Amino acid sequence: MASNSWQFAGDGDESDDDNFNPAPADMSDDENNDNDEEHNHNHRPAGKTVRQASSPVPDEEEEEEEHDEEEDARPAKRSRRDDHDEDEDEEQDEEENEEIDEEEEEEEEDEEDEDDVHGGNRRKRRNKDRRAAFFDIEAEVDDEDEGEDEVGDGEEIEDFIDNAHPDDIADSGRLNDDRRHRELDRRREMEASLDAEKQAEILRERYGKRAPARGYGDMAIVPRRLLLPSVEDPSIWAVRCKEGKEREVIFSIMRRIEERMGTKNEVPITAAFERGGVNSVMKGYIYVEAQRQNDILVALDGILNVYPRSNMHLVEIKDMPDLLRVIKTPNLEPGAWVRLKKPAKHAGDLAQVIDVTENGLEARVRFIPRLDYGVRDDPVFQADGKRKRPGVPGPRPPQRLFSEAEARKRHPRHLQGNPQTNSWNYNGDDFENGFQVKDIKIQQLEVKNVNPSLEEVTKFASGAEDGTENLDLKALAATLKDSAKSVAYVPGDIIEVYEGEQQGVIGKATNVQGDIVTLQVTEGDLAGRTIDVPNKGLRKRFRIGDHVKVIGGSRFRDEVGMVVKIVDDRVTLLTDQTNTEITVFSKDLREASDIGGQGSLGQYSLLDLVQLDATTVGCIVKVDRESVVVLDQNGDTKQVQPSQITNKLPKRKFAVAADRNGSEIRLDDVVREYGGQQRQGKIIHVHRSYIFLHTTTTNENAGVFVTRANGVTTVAAKGGRNTATAGPDLSSMNPALKRNPAANGKQMAAPRTFGPDRAINQTVVIRRGGHKGLLGIVKDTTDTHARVELHSKGKIITIPKADLSFKDKITGKTIDINQRGGSRGGFGGGGRGGGEFGSRTPMASGGSDRTPAWGSSRSTARTPAWNRDAGGSRTPAWNDGSRTVNPYDGSRTPYGGATAYGGIGSRTPAWHSGSRTPAPDGFGHGSKTPAWSAGSDSWGSKTPGYGASAPTPGASGDAWGYTPGAGGGNSSSAYDAPTPGGGLSAPTPGAALNAPTPGAYSAPTPAPVSAPTPGAWQGGWGSGDAVSAPTPGALGAPTPAAYYSAPTPAAYGGAAETPGGAPGYADDD
Amino acid sequence: MFFLHNLERRVTLHPSYFGRNMHELVTTKLVKDVEGTCAGDYYIIAIMDAFDVSEGRILPGNGLAEFTVKYRAVVWRPFKGEVVDAIVFSINPHGFFCQAGPLSIFVSSHLMPEEIHFDPNATPPQFTNNADMVIEPGTHVRVKIGGLRTELGEMYAIGSINGDFLGCLQA
Repeated sequence: MASNSWQFAGDGDESDDDNFNPAPADMSDDENNDNDEEHNHNHRPAGKTVRQASSPVPDEEEEEEEHDEEEDARPAKRSRRDDHDEDEDEEQDEEENEEIDEEEEEEEEDEEDEDDVHGGNRRKRRNKDRRAAFFDIEAEVDDEDEGEDEVGDGEEIEDFIDNAHPDDIADSGRLNDDRRHRELDRRREMEASLDAEKQAEILRERYGKRAPARGYGDMAIVPRRLLLPSVEDPSIWAVRCKEGKEREVIFSIMRRIEERMGTKNEVPITAAFERGGVNSVMKGYIYVEAQRQNDILVALDGILNVYPRSNMHLVEIKDMPDLLRVIKTPNLEPGAWVRLKKPAKHAGDLAQVIDVTENGLEARVRFIPRLDYGVRDDPVFQADGKRKRPGVPGPRPPQRLFSEAEARKRHPRHLQGNPQTNSWNYNGDDFENGFQVKDIKIQQLEVKNVNPSLEEVTKFASGAEDGTENLDLKALAATLKDSAKSVAYVPGDIIEVYEGEQQGVIGKATNVQGDIVTLQVTEGDLAGRTIDVPNKGLRKRFRIGDHVKVIGGSRFRDEVGMVVKIVDDRVTLLTDQTNTEITVFSKDLREASDIGGQGSLGQYSLLDLVQLDATTVGCIVKVDRESVVVLDQNGDTKQVQPSQITNKLPKRKFAVAADRNGSEIRLDDVVREYGGQQRQGKIIHVHRSYIFLHTTTTNENAGVFVTRANGVTTVAAKGGRNTATAGPDLSSMNPALKRNPAANGKQMAAPRTFGPDRAINQTVVIRRGGHKGLLGIVKDTTDTHARVELHSKGKIITIPKADLSFKDKITGKTIDINQRGGSRGGFGGGGRGGGEFGSRTPMASGGSDRTPAWGSSRSTARTPAWNRDAGGSRTPAWNDGSRTVNPYDGSRTPYGGATAYGGIGSRTPAWHSGSRTPAPDGFGHGSKTPAWSAGSDSWGSKTPGYGASAPTPGASGDAWGYTPGAGGGNSSSAYDAPTPGGGLSAPTPGAALNAPTPGAYSAPTPAPVSAPTPGAWQGGWGSGDAVSAPTPGALGAPTPAAYYSAPTPAAYGGAAETPGGAPGYADDD
Repeated sequence: MFFLHNLERRVTLHPSYFGRNMHELVTTKLVKDVEGTCAGDYYIIAIMDAFDVSEGRILPGNGLAEFTVKYRAVVWRPFKGEVVDAIVFSINPHGFFCQAGPLSIFVSSHLMPEEIHFDPNATPPQFTNNADMVIEPGTHVRVKIGGLRTELGEMYAIGSINGDFLGCLQA
């Protein structure tokens, strides 16, 4: 303590010397006091009080009085000095001159100033001496510096000694002392005679060098660079020794030092150390520190395993610190994974450590041999006639487990071993269980950054004799963890400092350069500050709920999930993919920006169906970094690598299976197991009789399970299957339909047919298929097919009715059998025809209305109607319409439900239109034409419907009819149907009440609709113009057709049409 | 938390709907399209009204009319830290899933009080503290949302019942 303080005092004084100014010094002292208070509180209290008394008295003249007063306070004062105050008043200096040489030094330096105050000093000193008798007499005696205390000093000291050590010093000693004192006095005298300059010079010479060196050594904190060796320090030599024996050598040296300690041939070295070790680059050397090289030779002479005479390197000064640098050495554990560097043939191959030798120099590893069993050697040998040069590696054989049989084939003599243990020696190499086992020097192994891939590791695992895979995942994980490169931080990461001075600081990385991460502190006292920290003591910080992605060396790489738990740097997260929890190190995580994440490995992704072998398929339930887990059809899960997957089975969208009740089940249907666990799930794959189901209620196998199709029952989707084609569902979109759902429903009713199929006995031409173009006669029919006796071949074939085109037996013209029947009815069998139509016509009711009308038409208006039928309307409407239509569409029309209906409607009206209704009505009403138009609505509703629908599709419909027929058959009919149907059914009576009917629709509808149509027949009976009729039909029709895809036009478009219709009408006229 | 939110959406209307009540149809369609959906990080619960329906523009090519509709909707945006009531629908050893309206929340066993543990032997399996708290499918729980993840049209959350007043709701 004391020396320390004085050291500082001395240092301080060196600067204080020049401008010595007590008053400011005192102030600075106060500051120091404050500081010191904390450290040396014990000393303080007394010192401080004294200080306050003394400090205001800097004046040297007053000193003496001061001292007298101060005498009692002295001990306290001394203690204060111990606290190394920097301001040394002279008085204080002098007081303590004798105590410590350090002080004397400064004393001396101040001497010039003090000469005049000697007397006082002396007095003071005596007093003090008495009190502090024990203060290091030797120091005082040895002191040669007391030059200024010339003569009187001796006495004083004598007194002092007497008082202080009466027992310690013998009489002889005292005499001796006396002599020495005199000697001392003489010297001091001499010194005092020198001039001050010289004295200072001497002093400086004596102490100047020592002070700083000692000072730094004693300080608590020493700048590192000052500890570095310099040229003056002993040198270090590296001395060769036997590898692995480094420590032994050092111990020998230690023993020798102990033995020779104190003898005349002490070991002349200052230090010796070794940095050996398995992986050390400094092994094979010991390092000896000595002043001279020869000392080392002496010291190491005769010590075993060290060779000082062979090769001794002097370590350069700048390299010395590196000798002691600590490097963490990886330690090899049995089971660890390494890569081979040395046998060139195996360079880079993965190997597993079996054992490490005692001295840590070699490791016994096993790896998969690359043997060619001499296959490649032989030709070389024969061709060149000389040995293949070693060191020129050929193409290296693939890695394969050792095969005894192969080896025996070519080199039976080089093979020996024990089949029981399956260990062999072949060409000097050892093989166990197929693996090559070899002792390899550890420096020839790559221990770090091994990064074994799962595939490589699996080869080792599958080598177990029972075939079971006993993968030591733990060792693997350890290896992977070790080999992971130092954590990479990227700007933006939230980072926590968990080690070092800044421990606990949390911030956001703003910059990363090498090992230094710049943090913007976000929490705590330092918030807002930017600090640099080495990335060693950092870890990434996450919070519960964060969405993170696994990166880096973890085997969970690429998993994405939400953090549910954090313990130190281990983070547990719930993966998005499989809803399972995994725990990884926070260094392997980062905030996930992307969603989903992992889920595919190459072409295989989660829930894909893959073919494993000819008879096995499986559903991928987990995707790892290098393998996938597959649930096969038997319900077993296995881990496979992509290379083991034969191929991926595309999802068959239309795969159908039957459940245990025989109902068809398809993809995406929800089914439930009938027995067992009654699990319920959505079908994701159908494969033969197996179905793979997915459920959200469990996360085992990612919620996938497999069962037989006939063991499940349908839960949902029965009949709920939507077979509609893409595009808007027009039938449901039609506001008109929505507003009149009743009509909608009604019109959907399929028409009923009575009696035998009229196709029978018809002459037909086959329109498609292999028999296309052949003529025949229908012998029999079912709902869909007809048996046709071919004229040409005389045989009966079965053909879909849709592929038939009916021909008139006589004329060969294409006819519509239904139409024809109608017309026939029209001609002769009116009743039947009527009945037929009555029922068939969309306007069942309308028909009934009409029937009378029809009747009336027959009676009254038949002629014109008929006329018109024959001439006008028939030509356009019938001829053109129905007949044309029917072949294509028509045939379909009649059969298709609503469409058919519409079609029939169309036909019917066409027929009607032609034959009578409008005409009759028109006739009946005579001038009622307008009303009639409304009336016609009734069935004119049909008419309009007809205008739009019936004739349109029928007659003109065909002109553009392909369109609706082919493309929008459904909708067309839908629209056809509703319009007339809707209008018709209810309003039909409207035949009577003309007005409401249109009203039902929105007035315009009928008008427009009717317009064209009427145009057709109006022409018929108005102008009787056959030609004119089709035109409007054609005209009027297409227009709606255009809209037609949207049924609306019927209703809406009609509005627009209306005028169009009228003009059309006008045109006709 | 629920908000009244002004939103905008483009609604297309098939030509078959063109007519006088088009705006009504547009609104209907809007409601049909939008209500109950998840729009990024919030759910649209209900549409109050459509206060501005623009003029329709016919889209070239398909004849559909496009309307820009501004509407006001009640939306629910779950927040981290929000406490919601939910119904448990699935339980596994790692935790349970519960549903707060449209939002599925997973409560990990790490985020439950210490004394609650998984009991696989009960039927159905449950989380229980062997006292008053029994969590099985159908149980009403009060959960604090710990984290949220949004995907296209979906949201997931993890929750915690580790806290005062969280956990089973009695009766």
